[in-house]
Amino acid sequence: MSVQPTMQTETFFTIDMPYRERMELRRTRFSGGNGPRVAVLAGIHGDELEGLYVCHRLAAWFEELVRTTPEALCGTVELYPALNTLGLDTLTRGLPVFDTDLNRAFPGSAEGPLPKRLADAIMTALTGAALVVDIHASNIYLREIPQVRINQEFRELLVPIARQMNLDMIWLHSASTVLETTVAHSLNSNGTPCLVVEMGVGMRITPEYCDQLVFGILKTWQAIGVLAADVALPETDHAPLIADDDNVHYLNAQTSGLFVATASHWTDVHQGELLGTIVSPFSGAVLSEVRSPTDGILFTLREYPLVYEGSLMARVMARTGGPA
Amino acid sequence: MIRNLLCMTAPMREGFDIPCHEIGPLSPYPAAALVAGLHGDEINGVFILSRLADFLNGVEAGNYPELRLVKPVLIIPAVNVLGVNLRTRTWPFDKSDINRMFPGSTTGETTQRIAYAVLEATKHAAHRIDIHTASVDFEEIPQVRLHGPSAAERDSAGWFGLTAVMERSLSPVFTTTLMSSWKAWVGDSFVLRVGQAGTVQLGHCQRVFRALVSFLGRAGILEGVQMGSEDEDTCYFDKASAFRVFAEKAGTFVSDRQVGSWVMAGQELGYIYDSFSGNIIENVVAPVAGLLTGIRRHPLLFEGDLILRINRKP
Repeated sequence: MSVQPTMQTETFFTIDMPYRERMELRRTRFSGGNGPRVAVLAGIHGDELEGLYVCHRLAAWFEELVRTTPEALCGTVELYPALNTLGLDTLTRGLPVFDTDLNRAFPGSAEGPLPKRLADAIMTALTGAALVVDIHASNIYLREIPQVRINQEFRELLVPIARQMNLDMIWLHSASTVLETTVAHSLNSNGTPCLVVEMGVGMRITPEYCDQLVFGILKTWQAIGVLAADVALPETDHAPLIADDDNVHYLNAQTSGLFVATASHWTDVHQGELLGTIVSPFSGAVLSEVRSPTDGILFTLREYPLVYEGSLMARVMARTGGPA
Repeated sequence: MIRNLLCMTAPMREGFDIPCHEIGPLSPYPAAALVAGLHGDEINGVFILSRLADFLNGVEAGNYPELRLVKPVLIIPAVNVLGVNLRTRTWPFDKSDINRMFPGSTTGETTQRIAYAVLEATKHAAHRIDIHTASVDFEEIPQVRLHGPSAAERDSAGWFGLTAVMERSLSPVFTTTLMSSWKAWVGDSFVLRVGQAGTVQLGHCQRVFRALVSFLGRAGILEGVQMGSEDEDTCYFDKASAFRVFAEKAGTFVSDRQVGSWVMAGQELGYIYDSFSGNIIENVVAPVAGLLTGIRRHPLLFEGDLILRINRKP
């Protein structure tokens, strides 16, 4: 006898705030058969909205699936669009009041500061899932192409999964200790596979990137048995380039001023090509020219024009991998 | 002598720098390096180190004939200069925590360059001290914090003459801090935590000022230091000695207790009121007898917030 799929939005963590109100963390769950449980996380930083739209698009797709072909949902899909509820509601990147980056509080603890208790509740909710996708939207300063970032420590397990995600880049980065306190590192360390997606820019949504990721997520979930093999999915045609510490070049500002890009994001550039200038608002002076250090792809470009000496303006990747 | 550790441009203001005091005999490296204001809202440390610089400059000027500074001392009262001026904990432009940027880099982000300059200036010192406070919400007894200490650090932690020395294990959370970077270099490294952020607590500052003078005396850097007899015995507390009380209910916490006092088990230490009705909803009592080493100062509580910490006498 087949299981009737269900959809419900539920609260999985709640506490009282000082003056009458309650803070709640909520998720939407689509439950079908006894197949794998998967999850999408968004909004752990209150200024990153791309993942919220991905959750909306997935919810709409599964609402339609449950209505039209319920038997095609073989597992459980959980959407967590707002892990930093208070930050999202108040346009704050960190956790308000506690002035803390929630994604530096993992794996958390059942007692102690609120960020650690939130982290503990999130870990408890996610541990044991077959796959978790944690969606980030860069920050308000930089625009990123759709990409997966993977710590070298977990590359064997995660790279094959990431290749199915319909994204444009897989960035393998060396173990950085500060990342040990992220939700992704904590989940991967306890045996729950978690992919970190970065795309777009803070405080904005880029619908075409979101749809690109939605199609890749659906394809990946079908491959692991969350969706029936015969469900028709949207076409996916993006193959990832491979980036690592050897082929990514950082362009940091040599002086402070107003950065004005002349190159377009997500384009091929050549060694020595002018990517932008740093100019003075007080005069007509061009203070610094920003040129590409190599032939490659401009995959990160500054969105917020003011720069301090040292501010990151762009990243260029020498091309490796991608479509044959 | 005043030296700039780093001079950088700013987008719209004049350029900015990070000045430090170099006091005492000329030498390639300081014997002691003291740092505060990595977080711009931790004013106790900025005040203490600016006063210490004034005092040591006075020693050099002969204002204290019984004292002699025989080895050089480097003092950076505030690393996050703009954060101090704008009253923000983090670097105001991109909200990054400078004490999560070590060891830093000469080519990276602004805060990585700041971190690099601070580490380069201080890492060769035989004795290194980084002064912090708790947050604006919480008050800590002035204390020495040791992170995975050596036997020598345990011993010399007593030179401060502060009541509390708190020992903690090394944690990944701290790997990108100044303290952690210091540990790669020969010498002693200490964090002092003093009171709460956002204010100058004169009593705490005076106590820590005396503690630093005591330390410099016992380290053989400042000769002629006579320590007062009022200093208390030093207690070494490990993590297991700490008993924390968390708010069972959200509301408004009120207490007139002072950190540094010894309390009895069951002693009433404060109240939580319902913020709307005004009713007392929780009596906060000491779970054990011991030293009150930390207490909540911001009255508004989320359910589960830390209210106080008591360390049982070793």
